[in-house]
Amino acid sequence: MLFAGIDIGSLTAEAVIIEDGKIIASEIISVLPNPVDSAKKVLGLVIQKSGVNPGQIKYTVSTGYGREKLQSRGMADENISEISCHGLGAFTLNPEVRTIVDIGGQDAKVIKMNGSGKLENFVMNDKCAAGTGHFLEVMSKALGVSLDELGLISQGSKKPVQMSNRCTIYIETEVIHYLQRGVPKADVAAGINIAMAERALALVRRVKPEKEIMITGGVAKNVAVRDELQRMLSLKFVLPSIDPQLIGAFGAAVFAESKGKEK
Amino acid sequence: MITMGCDIGSLFIKAAILKGDDLAASKIMMTTGNIASEIEDFLKATAAGAGIERDKIECLAGTGSGADLLKNAEFTEDIVTCLAAATAFYLPKVKLSIDIGGQSITSMLLNQDGEVVDFMRNDKCASGSGRFLEVMSAKLHVNIADIDQTVARSAKPVALSAQCGVFAESELISHVNEGEQTPDIIAGVCGSVANIVVAQARRFGMADHYTITGGVAQIDSVLRIIKEKLSGTYHQFPHNPQLAAAIGAAVLAGSE
Repeated sequence: MLFAGIDIGSLTAEAVIIEDGKIIASEIISVLPNPVDSAKKVLGLVIQKSGVNPGQIKYTVSTGYGREKLQSRGMADENISEISCHGLGAFTLNPEVRTIVDIGGQDAKVIKMNGSGKLENFVMNDKCAAGTGHFLEVMSKALGVSLDELGLISQGSKKPVQMSNRCTIYIETEVIHYLQRGVPKADVAAGINIAMAERALALVRRVKPEKEIMITGGVAKNVAVRDELQRMLSLKFVLPSIDPQLIGAFGAAVFAESKGKEK
Repeated sequence: MITMGCDIGSLFIKAAILKGDDLAASKIMMTTGNIASEIEDFLKATAAGAGIERDKIECLAGTGSGADLLKNAEFTEDIVTCLAAATAFYLPKVKLSIDIGGQSITSMLLNQDGEVVDFMRNDKCASGSGRFLEVMSAKLHVNIADIDQTVARSAKPVALSAQCGVFAESELISHVNEGEQTPDIIAGVCGSVANIVVAQARRFGMADHYTITGGVAQIDSVLRIIKEKLSGTYHQFPHNPQLAAAIGAAVLAGSE
């Protein structure tokens, strides 16, 4: 039996089809202005990719933006919050996971679960750009490097600069001042990554994190931020075995499988 | 006695000269990356504005985030004390003084004697600060000095929901893309700044008589909304409100 999960984010939309808990096909697209259109497109693509007949999909769960709308339009049988889907997705990939740190482009979330994968607590920052991927975007522009380079060049730093601010706008000014004074880009980049990790750390600490901790979201791809955060927490993160962007949709599909099999 | 106060802020340097109780001269310039070497010339120019030589200043007091750069000051004082001194000097009835500066919002409660009973300062986050207004208006190609005349052309302000300056900037761009008019968006930005200031004042505790100083207090589109929303009587600072801390420092220099 086949089950599907759809996750509509602020920038990308994902869909996965699973069979016996394993992903048989997945698709990631940039979102369209309307969540229903995004869902139609991404679902169409994943069905095409998998070569299955849409009628074989027994149960579909939607999550993310407009998840209720997808259900009311008949594109999903049920909708579940992105926090629950993210939690279940991570827990299914690795049952040792108790804490998930998800740092996306527009927000950062920390989710805590118990030993059976049930949500215990979660904190989120979607009010302040510091500590989200947006911060790194602003800084990479100020430095004149790509997002990927920001993580890489800082590894050559011997003396990271210390940022005296928290606010993205103020740190941007600090970065410009450092560059004007001739401080090497590597040292400024390292300072940026440390400042980013400090903000993430503050959020993580609010839930009293427990091992294992899985890190997901686009910022997980910045090696320097990841390493710095590991050092600050003095532990190693678990990385997901699938593309971290797919975890929400995967969790939705796992929900779909458990619900669909009950019927 | 002739005294001078100099406030080295994050965006502007301000200096004020008091002859007794009268403001004899004042000067404001944008902060450059090279304050230490330019500051003496700036003070000389301010003194010239009062028709006196720099060495006729009997006492110079420094304040602001860059006060340490003022090597020739007789003393430096923190900004909260200076703002309170200026408020108490001109507006003895005022018990709540709010200063909206380039990188901070400071609220102070004063007692009968004009002493600071309590204060609250947000310098961690740019939202509501002068820098926030600067970033937003620059994005719309509106000069900060032209904000009031731009807002005058607004028919229906567009409310911004994001507080964070970075998120508000993205929101602003989407309003532009949706075809909203610049005056309406700028009016919305002014509303955001006002709301943040009002929220801080309310959280901190309102008083029957209040004043608002700092560079942002010169922008009527912001001030008007704050006055509408805050209970209590507003007292206008008698000089350019951006000079408040510098004048306060000069007042303190006189009482030393």
